[in-house]
Amino acid sequence: MHEMSIATALLEQLRRIAAEQQAARIVEVEVHCGVMQQVVPESLQLAFEAASTDTLAAGARLKIVETGLAARCRSCGEQFEAAIDNYLCPRCRTADVEIVAGRDIVLRSVVCEV
Amino acid sequence: MKINVVESVLKANDAVARENRRRLDAAGVVAVNLMSAPGSGKTLLLEKTIPALAAARCAVLVGDLQTTRDAERLAGIAAQVTQINTGTGCHLTATQVGEGLDSLDLRSIDFLFIENVGNMVCPAAFDLGEHRRAVLLSVPEGDDKVAKYPTLFQPADVILLTKVDLLGVLDYQRSKVYQDLSRINTRAPRIEVSSTTGQGLDRWFAWLKDQRRAQVSDS
Repeated sequence: MHEMSIATALLEQLRRIAAEQQAARIVEVEVHCGVMQQVVPESLQLAFEAASTDTLAAGARLKIVETGLAARCRSCGEQFEAAIDNYLCPRCRTADVEIVAGRDIVLRSVVCEV
Repeated sequence: MKINVVESVLKANDAVARENRRRLDAAGVVAVNLMSAPGSGKTLLLEKTIPALAAARCAVLVGDLQTTRDAERLAGIAAQVTQINTGTGCHLTATQVGEGLDSLDLRSIDFLFIENVGNMVCPAAFDLGEHRRAVLLSVPEGDDKVAKYPTLFQPADVILLTKVDLLGVLDYQRSKVYQDLSRINTRAPRIEVSSTTGQGLDRWFAWLKDQRRAQVSDS
């Protein structure tokens, strides 16, 4: 249930953006979750709902998009699409990678009413 | 009005983690984040490790939801021990570790062990500012856990197979663990240990000392 930590961090970002935009209300939020974060969308929805009560984002629609994994092999430099349970380099057959995409959680857009 | 943003939600945690790492680097401390399921033997491993490394030069930050039991076990062993109770939190955050660092005299230590909350999913998602990640997997947990929790094992810098004294007692196939690791992490050294019999501990101590040497020569 690290979804509550994520929801809390997200709401802090939304609070700052709303203040910058002088928004009265946030109605929609889009978040891209890297597959390695193992976010359970239903849990994040619930955590967001609970943590946003009494904030400008209360009742906002949370759109969660899961994003895939990209890895770079530390041995041969090959960049490839990894799976959550397979990081084997297709070129040199080692599993020693740097994760290039799929580890982060990124706030992509916010729809607000001014 | 739609605003397009591209901003990491974990940015605040990552910024604190970077600051933690900077503080540790400045003090010449190597920080190892120990992660595993509950009951895999993190605390006992530390009880055996710290005296072997020079107890006066070791500190521990212990994360648990409740109780100060682990900190009490380690209090007489490491020079400095701080318990972090996360309440309902299933993992440590960089901020909690930063507050923990405030309670320690970093100048007087070489090693900081961060004993994360026992959990195979959530701790992996949070950078704490550590230098190395040590992942423990105990024999009684079963030989299928690497495949089930790949995101814990993929970023590991060292993997400790613990409680190997039980290998003959339980139906457990080590080869399955190593087969799964061959797709997930071939970089991390794998060390088989038993904190009860002492088997393999020398290799673990040597690994730790190597990390400290690398840290000192980097800075």
